Amino acid sequence: MIEFKDVKKVYPNGTVALDGVNLKIADGEFVFIVGESGAGKTTLMKLLLREEKVTGGTLSVRCEKQNGNRRSFVEYNLQKLSNFKVPFYRRELGVVFQDFRLFPNKTVFENVAFAMQVVGESNRVIKRRVPALLNIVNLTEKFNCYPSQLSGGEQQRVALARALANNPQIIIADEPTGNIDPRMSLEIMNLLVKIHKRGKTVIVVTHEKDLVDYFKQRVVKISDGKVVSDGVGGMFG
Amino acid sequence: MKRYRLTYFMGQSVKGLWRNGVMTLASITVLMSCLVVIGSFALLIENINVNLEKLGLLNEIVAFIDETKTPEEVAAIGEQIRALDNVANVEYISKEQALEEEKERYKDYTGLYDLVEGDENPLRDSFVITYIDNEKASTTNYQVNHIDGVAKSNFRLELAQTIERVKSGISLVLVWFMAILFFVSLFVIINTIKLAVHSRRSEIAIMRYVGATEWFVILPFIFEGIFIGVLSSGVAYLIEMYIYRYVVAMMGDNFRMLTIIPFNDIRLMLGLAFLAIGVVTGIIGSTISTRKYLKA
Repeated sequence: MIEFKDVKKVYPNGTVALDGVNLKIADGEFVFIVGESGAGKTTLMKLLLREEKVTGGTLSVRCEKQNGNRRSFVEYNLQKLSNFKVPFYRRELGVVFQDFRLFPNKTVFENVAFAMQVVGESNRVIKRRVPALLNIVNLTEKFNCYPSQLSGGEQQRVALARALANNPQIIIADEPTGNIDPRMSLEIMNLLVKIHKRGKTVIVVTHEKDLVDYFKQRVVKISDGKVVSDGVGGMFG
Repeated sequence: MKRYRLTYFMGQSVKGLWRNGVMTLASITVLMSCLVVIGSFALLIENINVNLEKLGLLNEIVAFIDETKTPEEVAAIGEQIRALDNVANVEYISKEQALEEEKERYKDYTGLYDLVEGDENPLRDSFVITYIDNEKASTTNYQVNHIDGVAKSNFRLELAQTIERVKSGISLVLVWFMAILFFVSLFVIINTIKLAVHSRRSEIAIMRYVGATEWFVILPFIFEGIFIGVLSSGVAYLIEMYIYRYVVAMMGDNFRMLTIIPFNDIRLMLGLAFLAIGVVTGIIGSTISTRKYLKA
């Protein structure tokens, strides 16, 4: 569960990026965040990633932990979260960026494995899990390729596999189709929907009207730092 | 319990060094050059110190004994001198020994001492007193002169004091110069490593996005710093050894009056100092450079 309560973000130069945003995203939801350039989408993402701190209101993220048969919840209050704890919070998220952000000098396998090495996962688990993840994104054959040897769509699929590596409950995709052709865009979106159907919360920030309208999910529109519309099965507007 | 393995970080460091070959080479070259310059100055200081210390052995007072004194009385005078404050060493030189030394010194002038053999020896028994502190040398000389049986004394206070002043002056200047050189080197090394890390800032940003802790990000860079330090110090050591031996060979017999420390006597010290400076600067450089990009 992600909850923005009257969230305000003012940058040091005085720019008000978000002004009184109230938004609740339940566990297992699929949400499009849409809006024009400069509307505040990127700031909203940065706050969620705890790259920036909120300047007003509260932003909390509750994550489910599955330990064997036991389920527990951890709640992160992002404006109070210390820098020391930020990496541990980020491990609860799977993030996909417009520019893929893959390690250019690591193979597909190594790029996905890296997210697991970060949390101290054993080589045995990594060797078992990475092929399974590559299978989900249909990249099993390319495990030994470098990002430069892949198309934009394939690179984004690697990024998706990496986002899923530590089995996070929340997947955040910032303009995931921004750098790829329309056919591949649809494929990426289909993958995100597939991931959503596995019970994950998926948040997609985009300005691609056609895709938003096609998938008919909840759409939150931001304009001038405010939520101006929020509808399930909605259209870009 | 999930655990991080040291081998993972070391492996990442080696890969990092290899993949960023040009910057690695630049860092090693800069660090190695700085070490060679610092090492050369250190060796220069060490050699100057050894030579000045040799000159400092002139910290001597020679006390000549009245020729009327019996051997027992002479021995007693020796004991009185030894008991004085500021006396490091006392050596008795009989008048016969003194004559032999004189003969040896002027051996080219045959027959010069033929007339002064045996009872005709005009020299006196003496004590060569080595004192500890130049500051107290005048007092020691005064005390020696006032011991019954000491006919007169010779000492070169001014020369000793001048040598002491020159020695401290040169040491001070060179130590300061070395310290400045060390900080300049550190600055250059940090900047070189910063450049290397800067070229990998997007890599660090990705690490942070996938939840890497500060230590997870920094550790491979620290190991890289250590590797760079070890490699640089190894190469610098070999270059320094070659330069030192070359300079010593070039000086040859022209500077026979100077004492040159053999390289073997200082190689362990030099090697360890290079390794320590190399590793420490490597670690400091990597840590400072990486922390800049670790903002959460």
